[in-house]
Amino acid sequence: MSNSHTGLAVRMQRFLEHWGVVVAFVLLFAVSALKQGGDFLSMENFRNLLNQNAAVGILAVGMTLVIVSAGIDLSVGSMVVLAAAVGTTAMNGLIGAGWSEPSAVISGVVLTILAGTAAGSLNGALIVFGRIAPFIATLGGLAAFRSIALAIAEAGEIRSQSPTMFSALGRGGIPLPFAENSAGKALTISWSTVIFFAVAIAAQWFLSRARFGRQLVAIGANETAARYAGVPVAWIRFRVYALMGAFAGIAGLVQSSRMNSVSTSQLGLGSELDAIAAVVIGGTSLRGGFGRVWGTVVGVLILGMITNILTISGVSPYWQGAVKGTVIVLAVLVQRGSRA
Amino acid sequence: MESQSSTRGGGAVTTPVPHMGVRSVTVEYPGVRALDAVTVDFHAGQIHAIVGENGAGKSTLMKVLSGAVAPNAGELLLNGQPTVLRGPRAAIRAGISMVHQELNLVPTLSVAENVLLGREPTLLAGIAVDRRRQQDRAREVLSMLGAELDLSCAVSELSIADSQYVEIAKCLASEAQVLILDEPTAALGEYEARKLLNLLRRLRDEGRAVIFISHHLDEVVDIADQISVLRDGRLVAQFTRNSAGVLQSADGTIANEDTLAHAMVGRELGSIYPVKGTARPGSDAAIELIEFGAVGRSSGISMTVRPGEIVGVAGLVGSGRTETAEAIVGLRRAAGEIRVAGRTHAFAHPRAAMRAGVAYVSEDRKGRGLHVSLSCIVNMTLPSLDAFSQLAGARLDDVKERSVTARWINELAIRCARPGLAISSLSGGNQQKFVLARWLETRPNVLIIDEPTRGVDVGAKAEIYRIIAALAQEGLACIVISSELPELIGIAHRVLVMRKGSVAGEVTREHLSQVGCDERIVRIASGLSADRQGTS
Ligand SMILES: Nc1ncnc2c1ncn2[C@@H]1O[C@H](COP(=O)(O)OP(=O)(O)OP(=O)(O)O)[C@@H](O)[C@H]1O
Ligand SMILES: [Mg+2]
Repeated sequence: MSNSHTGLAVRMQRFLEHWGVVVAFVLLFAVSALKQGGDFLSMENFRNLLNQNAAVGILAVGMTLVIVSAGIDLSVGSMVVLAAAVGTTAMNGLIGAGWSEPSAVISGVVLTILAGTAAGSLNGALIVFGRIAPFIATLGGLAAFRSIALAIAEAGEIRSQSPTMFSALGRGGIPLPFAENSAGKALTISWSTVIFFAVAIAAQWFLSRARFGRQLVAIGANETAARYAGVPVAWIRFRVYALMGAFAGIAGLVQSSRMNSVSTSQLGLGSELDAIAAVVIGGTSLRGGFGRVWGTVVGVLILGMITNILTISGVSPYWQGAVKGTVIVLAVLVQRGSRA
Repeated sequence: MESQSSTRGGGAVTTPVPHMGVRSVTVEYPGVRALDAVTVDFHAGQIHAIVGENGAGKSTLMKVLSGAVAPNAGELLLNGQPTVLRGPRAAIRAGISMVHQELNLVPTLSVAENVLLGREPTLLAGIAVDRRRQQDRAREVLSMLGAELDLSCAVSELSIADSQYVEIAKCLASEAQVLILDEPTAALGEYEARKLLNLLRRLRDEGRAVIFISHHLDEVVDIADQISVLRDGRLVAQFTRNSAGVLQSADGTIANEDTLAHAMVGRELGSIYPVKGTARPGSDAAIELIEFGAVGRSSGISMTVRPGEIVGVAGLVGSGRTETAEAIVGLRRAAGEIRVAGRTHAFAHPRAAMRAGVAYVSEDRKGRGLHVSLSCIVNMTLPSLDAFSQLAGARLDDVKERSVTARWINELAIRCARPGLAISSLSGGNQQKFVLARWLETRPNVLIIDEPTRGVDVGAKAEIYRIIAALAQEGLACIVISSELPELIGIAHRVLVMRKGSVAGEVTREHLSQVGCDERIVRIASGLSADRQGTS
C-alpha cells in the first residue's frame, strides 16, 4: 500500500527489491577482497571466477527465459551431459573414420548443440502437445537424458580424440592486451566466458526488446489472456524449451572442451539447481511474467563467489549446500515485496 | 420498475446516527491525486450511491472505507470514533465488507467454498470443514440473491455474471453492517441487476448501510437515498432524498440522469448515441455464420453481417452469447461454418482469426482481456505486436509503441498518468477503454465486442459509441454483445436475441426505433412470444 507515513522503510524495501542483488554482489565482493587480500582483486582471479561459472551461467540464462514463461526445466544438467556425450562420441567416430580434425571438430560442435536442441524440443513437445506440467515432463528428462548418456559411454568417461583443436576451444581465449597473469604471460579471457556473455546479452535483448520476449512475458503473466490476445502460446512455449536445450548443448560444449572429455556420471550433475538458484537470486519471479537476465548473471557470480569464499575459508563442502540454500531463501525474502 | 415508496425504510426519515464517515480524506498516487479532501457520511438504513467519471476516485474511496488503502491524510470515522483500519481483515472484523470492482475469487475452488472463504463452518473443534453446513449456508445466501448456481461447480467454469453473484454472496455471507459494492451491476443483465437492487433495498430496510457505485444513472436515481458525485477526486455534489421522496441537492437541483451526468462531467452531455449510419447496400457479407455453434453451448446460429453494419446480440446471462463469440475466433470448439469475406474458415486460434481480420474483445477484462501486471504500453500493443516488429521480430519499435499508446490515450480520453506503469493502476473504466483500443489497433474488418462499455462512465460511453459508429461508416462489420438494452437499441442496426444457445428472434431496424422494443427483446429473451397479444 502506498502511504507517506512509512516513507523511508518502504523506499528501502523498494530499493532492495530492485537492486538487492547488486548490493549483495558488492558486499560479497568486499568480503572476498578482505579475505584474500590483493589476490582476489587481481584480474586473474576474476577471470577464473567467470571461467568456472560460464557453463552454469549459460544454463541460468536459458532458465531465466523458461521461468519468465512461468515454466521450469529440471532436465538441464542431464541435457548437458547427453549433448556432450553425443557430440564427443560422434566427433571421435569421425576422427576414427579418417576425417580431418577441423571438420570432425566442427561436426562435433554442431552435433552437440543439435543434440541439446533435440532433447529440449522433446521437453517442449511433451509440455505443449502432451499437456504435461513442465515440472513433471522435465523431471522425466532429468532421469532419462542422463541415463542415455550413461548408456552411450557405459557409465564411463568419453575422452576426446581430437589432439589439439577441441581442447583449444575450451582452454583458449582472447588475450587481453593490458593484463598479465601471475606468471607474467598475457591474460586471456576464455571462449567460454565470451560465449556466456554473448548468450546473456542476446537473451537480455530478446527478453526486453524483441517480440519473442514480449510474448514470453505475456504468457508467463497470464496465459489465458495471452491466448485471447492472439499470442501463439503453444509455439512460443515449445520454442523456449527447445532454446533451453540449445543452451544446454552450448554449456555441454563449454564443459567437455574444457576437460577434453565427458564424464557421463558427473558432468552437469545438479546444475539445474544452481541454474534455478541463480535465476531466483537475480530477481526473476518464479511465478513468471517478470524476469531480467542481467540479474541472473549477477546471481551466477554471487553463487560462484560464495563457493570460493567458503572453499578458501576451509568450510567443508558438505556444509556449502546449507549456506547456498540460506542465500537463496534470503534472496527470495528480500525481493518478495510486491512481485512474488 | 418496482415502486419505491412502499419499500423505503424508516432510516431516511428519522435522523440516523452516522454509521461511518470520512473526513478530509486524501489519497495520492504517483502523478495523480485520486482523492482530494473528501468528507462524506454514510448512514445505517440508507443506500448511498457514489457516481463519477472513470478515474474520479470512486473505487479509491471505497478502498479507504474497507481498509485496503490507507489515506495519505484525513481520517475515517466509525460510529463517530476516529478509526484506523489496518487492512481488509480489520475492516471485516469491524463489520465492513466490500465487493471489489474486479473479481477476486479463487478459480479452482467451488462456488460454495468461495462464498464462505475464510469463514468456513468447522467440525471437530475446528480441524475439519463442515461440508454440509458450508453448502447449506452458501445455498441460503445465493438464494437471497435469487441466483441458481451449482454449488460444487468450480468458479473458473462460471460466466462473469455468475462470478459476480458469488462475489456478492461472499459479501452477504459476512453479515456485515456496512456493505460496499463497487459496480456490482456492471456485469449483470438488466433483469439480474433489478433482482440485486431489490435485495439491496431489503438489506437497507434491515438497517444496514449500503454503499454502491454504478455508472447506470437510472438505477442510481431509482434506488439511492443519498448520492455523492465525485469529480477529479473531489466531492462536487450531494443529493439527499427528502421526505417527499425526491432526491435533491442543497441548492435545490433535483437528481435525474441529466443533472447527475452534468455534475459528473461538469458540462452538458447531448445524446450519447450517434446517428446510425447505413450498412453498405448490396455489399457482400463481411462475416457469415451458417448453422454455427459452440459445441455444448450453442447451435444452429445463422447470421450475416455486412460491412458497415452493427448487429446487436441480446439475451439473458447464460444464453450462450459469449461462448458463441469465443467459438468464432477459435477459443472454443466450434460446429458449423464461418465465412469471412466469402471464404470459409475454421479458426484454430485467435491469431488465425486476426489474420482473417476478425477480432474478439472479451468481456472479462481482468482474467482474459488484459495482463493486469504488465504495463499499459505492453497491453496496448500485444494483439498487434507484429505491426511493431522489426528485423523479423528481433526488435520492437518502442518509439512507435509509445506513440500509438499515447494516441489512443488521447483519442479515448483515458486517464493514465504514466503509460509505463502496470495497467492495474488504472481505474476500471479506463482499463476497459484500453481493451477496446488494443483491438481497434489491429484494424479488424469484423469486430466482435463483448460488453463494450462495462464500467464505463456516460461521457466515455458516448465516445465509444461514436468511435464504433465511425468505424462502421468506414466499413467495419461489428457484432456487439451487450446486456444493456438501451445500448443495443441505441447503436445497433438490428438485434438478434439469443436464448438457451440459439437465436430466438430478431428485432429489425424498424422495430428498434419504436417504443416498447426493449420489452419486445426481453420477452423474446425469456421465451415469451415477441408480441404481448401472443400470450394473452
Ligand atoms: N495503485 C494505483 N497506482 C497509481 N494510480 C492509481 C492506483 N489506483 C488508482 N489510481 C488512480 O487513481 C485515480 C482514481 O482511480 P479509481 O479507481 O478510484 O477511479 P474510479 O472512480 O473507481 O473509476 P472507474 O469508474 O473507472 O472505476 C485514477 O486516475 C487511477 O489511475
Ligand atoms: Mg472503479
